Amino acid sequence: MSDALERFEKGLREVSEASAGAFTGRSTEQALRDENAKLVGPNGQLTQLMKLMRELPADRRKDLGQQANALKAEIQAAFEGALDRLARAAREAELTGPALDPTLPGRGVRRGRLHPLTRTIHQLVDVFVALGFDVEDAPEVDYASNCFGKLGFPPDHPATDMQDSFFVERPGGELDTVLRTHTTTVQIHQMLKRPPPMAVICPGAVYRRDDDATHSPMFAQIDGFAVDEGLTFAHLKGVLTAFVRRLFGDEVPVRFRPSYFPFVEPGGELDMGCVFCRPWEADAERTRACRVCKGTGWMEILGCGMIHPVVFEAVGIDPTRYTGFAFGMGIDRISMLRHGVSNIRLLYENDARFLARL
Amino acid sequence: MKASHRWLTELSGVDASAADVAAALTRLGLEVEDVEPRGEGLDHVVIAEVRAAAPVQGKDKLTLVTVFDGEGERQVICGAPNVPAPGGRVVLARPGAVLPGGLAIAEREVGGVRSSGMLCSETELGIGPGGAGILVLTNGEPGRPGQLARDALELTDHVFEISLTPNRPDCLGHVGLAREVALAFGVAFRAPSPGVPARLLAGVDRLDAPGDLPLLEDDAPHLDTLTLVEMRAGVPALVPIRIESPERCPRYAGGVVQGVTIGPSPFWLRHRLFSLGVRPIDNVVDVTNLVLLELGHPIHAFDLAKLRGPEIVVRQAREGETMATLDGEERRFTADDLLICDGGGPVAVAGVMGGRDSEIGQDTRDVLIEVAYFDARSIRRTSRRLGLHTESSHRFERGVDPNGVPRAMRRAVSLMCLLARGAASPIARDVCPAPIAPRAIAFDPAHPGRLLGMPIAERQTRAALEAIGCAISPSEDHLWRVHAPTWRPDLGRPEDLVEEVARIGGYDAIPTALPRVLPSGRGVDARLRLARRLREAAADLGLLEAVNFAFVSRDDLTRARIPGAPLALANPLSEERAVLRTSLLPGLLAAVARSRRHQAASAALFELARVYHPVDGEPLPREPWHLAIALAGRRVDHVAEDARFDLYDGKGVLASIVEATLGAPLEAHGDEALDAEAPYLHPRRRARLSIDGVSVGVVGELHPDVGDAADLDARLVYGELWLERLFEAAAARGVPQARALPRFPSVSRDVALVVAESVQVGAVADALATAGERLVEAVELFDVYRGAGIEEGHKSLAFRVVYRDPGATLTDARVDTAHGRVVRAAMEAVGARPRA
Ligand SMILES: [Zn+2]
Repeated sequence: MSDALERFEKGLREVSEASAGAFTGRSTEQALRDENAKLVGPNGQLTQLMKLMRELPADRRKDLGQQANALKAEIQAAFEGALDRLARAAREAELTGPALDPTLPGRGVRRGRLHPLTRTIHQLVDVFVALGFDVEDAPEVDYASNCFGKLGFPPDHPATDMQDSFFVERPGGELDTVLRTHTTTVQIHQMLKRPPPMAVICPGAVYRRDDDATHSPMFAQIDGFAVDEGLTFAHLKGVLTAFVRRLFGDEVPVRFRPSYFPFVEPGGELDMGCVFCRPWEADAERTRACRVCKGTGWMEILGCGMIHPVVFEAVGIDPTRYTGFAFGMGIDRISMLRHGVSNIRLLYENDARFLARL
Repeated sequence: MKASHRWLTELSGVDASAADVAAALTRLGLEVEDVEPRGEGLDHVVIAEVRAAAPVQGKDKLTLVTVFDGEGERQVICGAPNVPAPGGRVVLARPGAVLPGGLAIAEREVGGVRSSGMLCSETELGIGPGGAGILVLTNGEPGRPGQLARDALELTDHVFEISLTPNRPDCLGHVGLAREVALAFGVAFRAPSPGVPARLLAGVDRLDAPGDLPLLEDDAPHLDTLTLVEMRAGVPALVPIRIESPERCPRYAGGVVQGVTIGPSPFWLRHRLFSLGVRPIDNVVDVTNLVLLELGHPIHAFDLAKLRGPEIVVRQAREGETMATLDGEERRFTADDLLICDGGGPVAVAGVMGGRDSEIGQDTRDVLIEVAYFDARSIRRTSRRLGLHTESSHRFERGVDPNGVPRAMRRAVSLMCLLARGAASPIARDVCPAPIAPRAIAFDPAHPGRLLGMPIAERQTRAALEAIGCAISPSEDHLWRVHAPTWRPDLGRPEDLVEEVARIGGYDAIPTALPRVLPSGRGVDARLRLARRLREAAADLGLLEAVNFAFVSRDDLTRARIPGAPLALANPLSEERAVLRTSLLPGLLAAVARSRRHQAASAALFELARVYHPVDGEPLPREPWHLAIALAGRRVDHVAEDARFDLYDGKGVLASIVEATLGAPLEAHGDEALDAEAPYLHPRRRARLSIDGVSVGVVGELHPDVGDAADLDARLVYGELWLERLFEAAAARGVPQARALPRFPSVSRDVALVVAESVQVGAVADALATAGERLVEAVELFDVYRGAGIEEGHKSLAFRVVYRDPGATLTDARVDTAHGRVVRAAMEAVGARPRA
């Protein structure tokens, strides 16, 4: 009994002595934790000592237990104090030590972009949606009859020269399917699908057998049309004027002049004031020197007209009851004008340096 | 179409500036794209008269010419062989003149002799194709010494480049254009008289064939000045014409001019042709070209002596029949081609080009002039088939005026008599088996106002239609019967007449109004809407959008190991673009390879477009839309870090896109079927993507062999999502439903399990999640460890398992029990052991 008492008291003294300098001069957290474990860890000195508690004389047990607990608390405090000093020293070292080199390059955050054509399409689509148009899709590979015949192109007529088409090979050798040459085919698809009234636009890729600095064999168009009772050329002018003004600004002048497309009659083209030399600001010299409009002050932007009765007849809509207007424009050109792109091919080369900039 | 402002002014009587005329034509729908001034800058260039000419000693090619330039005599050295005799007139550039080519004229010494000026050729003046020597004016041509050449020779002009739409063949001649100019300026238009021949063959029986075309009227005022010329022996005055194919040749006229003298045309004619881009040849051919430019009606001149018979037969070719055309090419015909034949065989391709063997030559004495009307579609097919687009076919395929034949014949005959000193037969054969009358259109005079959306007086409508040559007679029901002139084949329906009324009034005069279109409520097509959201999500994640051509080469697809046969184009521009893409991979692969060649540290692209999948037995392919991404190179752009894109970047990007657009989790898992379905992916670094079990795409690193084939020096991560499947998955998933927020806290327990490398994380996580404990709410992987303490070929996976009882607070004891069961069950399921 007294043996245990003796060992316990001696042990307490030893632990107390060992703990006195245990945490000084330790420079890492791990070293501190190791020291702490030696004293109060599962196999630590004090922990081992505590196992003798039961053997102590009952009258001393409480007193010595309090001493042991006090010592444990002391060690805990010393350990935490040492940890804290270490952290403060590290903080101090970081704050006063060598600085990061701020001249190293920043870490790049990848920035994505929509393709300029896509952004132009979104802008145009938003304007027409606001004007009450639905947005629909149409197939790219289509029957030649949807692309030409039903749209009023006479067979063997030079009007088809305006749109030299790619035919799609068929097992039987028939030449009756093409890559659409214009998004105007949406008129046929939609008018066959639903009854008037309707107002629809269709953006998308179209294909013609042309390849030079101003023509790409694939390019993008938006076609639109409206069919209802009592639609007039005045409505056509109203909608397209509103379109140009919302896209380019209220001050931009527009003019309509006669032109020819087989699927409209009367047919026309819309010119808008050149947005580069801005002739309405009356700087004649600037307009004369303008390369974009070649000094005319006008830019051709779209073709339009009243839907030809042959189109209505082709889809079974009564042309004596309904009228409609239609328009179509190249998106590439609008996109190129907006971004100052001179060669259409750049739009389809997918050079990251080009795409990331626009 | 090139048009001369000066000529239009003569024909229309409208005296307006070139700029005003150009603007007016554009407003009428005849778009003038360019106005090119001619004859500018020819200051100090004058007409001069030769007074003397002498050779320069020691220089046998040079002549010392003394000329009178209206002010005095000067001496010039001339190197041309055709210096005229004294009295001849030439064009002199005085010192100080600057010629169109930039040549500045100054006094100078040539061969020791002083030369004060230069005698000019047409080329040097920019007014003709030149040829041998200087421009020499012949008798009867205008110009007196001292007069500015540009005034004397009428060199100042503006040439319009008009972009004509194919519906307006009437404007492919100056007379038709002049009609429009007159219309624009409100001037009444009268087509000029074609003239009558000044020299006539005597003794031709004028009553030979009723219906034939008389070339002069009995009471013509010029009969007194007419010269009668004897017929040449053995040369006919009329050539029989037989039309075997009247539907393709509704009208054919042939007129004879005898005794022509072939030679150069006078300067005015040569210059007029040259300035409109036509090369002058000789007086007979030049006349045919002038008539074409003037009336828009192509005509042809045969050397009558070279026509066998002589007779003319218009018929379809025999399959495989051949003939050499004027350009020297041997042409082979099909039965669909229309030929002009003589008694022996073909002599011209109708409406396209004449034959070499009957062409006008230096020794031609007698001419047969052809003026015909051919079916437009037939001419177009032949022209396309032969690849022979000529001034003639260009007009015939758009439609010339069938009733303009007499005028063109009269014009050609009278000019040939005048310029080539020929004598005309007073009548021409005019065979017209299928006369074409003006079209009658029943027209409601209220129609223009109704369609244009503005009030238009009937008087205005009538005036507009009459101004373009329509004849109007009343019909029943208050309708008009409008007879459209046959030179306007584009006028066939009432709407065509409405356009005429509109364009003559000016589109500017039409008001603007917004229609009351009732929105349908459909808005944007669902696929287009999804496409837009996907694109925006991809761009938000740092990807650049690519737009590639829809066509690729067969090789592109083979090299990229895209399974399945593509749809081919029947008439591709090149092998490089011969088939329609069945995958977006080749395009993105090429784009990434290109950016690597530009030393970009990384590439992160996406494309959203359709691909084309042929369907057996269907004429049209399916056009599914795909979203594809391509990542290559450095994941993070920083010098201090060198992590490269891998499978997990692809998976992460696509999962983020799907999460952002559909709010659904994207799962990736291995699938042996990808060997066949996506052989372009690395067999050990790839996955199928699905949402709730619906396969929606694939992702993976590119098969290294495919990368090599594309010359790609970096690992490419490629993935695609199929929009149709995304729709399907989204529809099956439905709208997310709300759940009550948990009322009791969760408790988590960590576990580290050691499994063989071949065991996938997903399998272990699934085993933990489905070990039969409804208390498991979530399982998250938080560490993967290989190395010390773990045997070779194994890995340690550390998971946090989250437990929750929705109805009660969990006690530690309950969690411990559950966790023990979960871990044991999972270990058994996947063959794992706990990490020591
Ligand atoms: Zn401009």
